[in-house]
Amino acid sequence: MLKIYYFGRLGERAARREENLVLPEGVTSISTLKTWLDRSHDLGGALHDKSVKTMINQSLVHGDIALQGNEEIGFLPPVGGG
Amino acid sequence: MGFDAEILNTGFNPGSRLNKFSKTCGDAGAIASFIGRVRGQSGEVNQLRLESYPGVTEQGIEQAIEQAQRRWPLASVLIIHRIGIVAVGEPIVLVATAAKHRRAAFQSCDYLMDYLKTDAVFWKHQSGPDDGEWIEPRQQDYADKTRWSET
Repeated sequence: MLKIYYFGRLGERAARREENLVLPEGVTSISTLKTWLDRSHDLGGALHDKSVKTMINQSLVHGDIALQGNEEIGFLPPVGGG
Repeated sequence: MGFDAEILNTGFNPGSRLNKFSKTCGDAGAIASFIGRVRGQSGEVNQLRLESYPGVTEQGIEQAIEQAQRRWPLASVLIIHRIGIVAVGEPIVLVATAAKHRRAAFQSCDYLMDYLKTDAVFWKHQSGPDDGEWIEPRQQDYADKTRWSET
């Protein structure tokens, strides 16, 4: 099961802060997951925006990464500072 | 002696926390502190709502404290930061640093606040009488932070 977190404005856009998700059929990597979520939640391409960082198991990742289906994934828009 | 970071989703009393902190500072001769509160901005802001990424936010703050320790000889550091809903006038952050002499305490406190204002993993939503918006660091906040790369 994937654990997905949407922070800041992404949470409003997705109408959820987090969700558990079985790896959807055909989704094999972080890039295909973003595309799947974008369509599923009508995010208007927000997850592919260059300003949005992606963390897998709380580590920043860049580029496309294969998924096993049991990862924690965080989508982070620009931080707002304290 | 201690180097602690706390993320709280309930209010805290900076005065009592600072008093408690002062008792952990051993024989340090200087304690500097900063308390940040939610600004009212002439009735334009009703409250802030802050989010963190549990685990990631704490790790980032702990790394900033470690960097401060490498730059200054510090005896103790305490950072308390609110998440959740924070009303105008309420404390949102407390940074306290202790060192043998005042300059290290002042500068490290300033350094840690600049980290918190620009790079700390928080998202901040500001609500006003009519609507709200997600806010990001100002150019001045980034400019403040670059001071530390020049020294």
